[in-house]
Amino acid sequence: MNCVDVRDVVLAHQRGALALGEDAAVREHLAGCAACTRVEQAERALSEVLEQRLPQHPASVGLKRQLAAQWPATVTPRQSWRRLAAPALVAAAVVLAVTPLLHQRFVVAPAQRDALVTEAVNDHVRVLLSERPIDAESSDIHQVKPWFGGRLDFAPAVAFGGDAEFPLRGGSVGYFLDRKAAVFLYSRRRHAISLFVVRAEGLQWPAGRLETSSRGYTLIVWRAGELGYVLVSDVESGELKTLAAKVMGEPA
Amino acid sequence: MADSARDVGTVGREALAYADTLHNLAHYLTGNGPDAQDLLQETYARALRALHQFTPGTNLKAWLCRILRNTFFSEYRRRRGSPVVGGLDTIDPVHDAADRELDALRKVVAQELEAALMSLAEDARTVILLDLEGLTEVEVAEVMGCAVGTVKSRLSRARAALRRRLGEDAH
Repeated sequence: MNCVDVRDVVLAHQRGALALGEDAAVREHLAGCAACTRVEQAERALSEVLEQRLPQHPASVGLKRQLAAQWPATVTPRQSWRRLAAPALVAAAVVLAVTPLLHQRFVVAPAQRDALVTEAVNDHVRVLLSERPIDAESSDIHQVKPWFGGRLDFAPAVAFGGDAEFPLRGGSVGYFLDRKAAVFLYSRRRHAISLFVVRAEGLQWPAGRLETSSRGYTLIVWRAGELGYVLVSDVESGELKTLAAKVMGEPA
Repeated sequence: MADSARDVGTVGREALAYADTLHNLAHYLTGNGPDAQDLLQETYARALRALHQFTPGTNLKAWLCRILRNTFFSEYRRRRGSPVVGGLDTIDPVHDAADRELDALRKVVAQELEAALMSLAEDARTVILLDLEGLTEVEVAEVMGCAVGTVKSRLSRARAALRRRLGEDAH
């Protein structure tokens, strides 16, 4: 690889998006080329300033209200959709009817699941809107986890302390439904990701893993032992799954 | 295609959740708040009219960004004209002033960063902002109507141009 080749892919290299062979070639070139190393450092610095310092221009509340008023809640469905969907709905109903135990085991009643999802999104938005979203600001999990001691009636079992892809920003105590929650805040580029950890006892927590979306946010809900976990963010679902795997300690 | 009542309600809620992202992109395309507001409203109006063309399961944010950018080209630029400063093709990707750029990047403040970004050509600004929003190269290609390979080179050159602009401004 020459300097031109390397500079074309240096961003992909930083994001871990290159194939192993190509990535190794970039590393080899960088090790022996001071000029490209400086470009690589400048690219990294540019990513940081864009993510942290570029002014944002969100829509005003008034404009959002106008847009919401323009967008209808419903329209009349087309007949063709009904024709296509009817067999699938019948099949789904049959499956649910003949497997009630499976349903009980793996599926939480929709109303309860919706309440859980709504609460998680509301809590995440609350974190985003908070003037001080992080009480224990640190990228070191061994500083954040001990901070919860004495503030919660359980120890949040989270081993993932962040990495270059998903840096840990810190933690705080929040409320989830009727109980206290440990809130870990990670980020992905400029997107905030909340991880809520609560005692699941007494809640209708999905026994299996639930991946869903609500109001533009993606959620992954799971349970490990006595604790329930919810990841919420507006990052792409694939990225949230990657983080979930890291939090769950699954092999990459 | 988004045909059912439930789909439209869901898509509508999701679409409105992207208002901040779209307004930000509109602001960096038009360069001012009032035009960004007009562009955003027209984008949502067009999206609603074209909703039957949206395929559920595909990326709604990318679909809306494409409509916004197309609306910008067809309405705003036709009406107002918009200078394109320094087309991407004029940018030399092998710019060897990285020390100066790195120094400038460490000191840059928000207003300087915004001004430097606004001084780039529209396609350079757009590709940087869409990348920053987390869109994949495939999605950026769909928004910008180009090949995926083109997105890679455009992004690389756009970022090099931005670094160079910041380096120049610092001296």
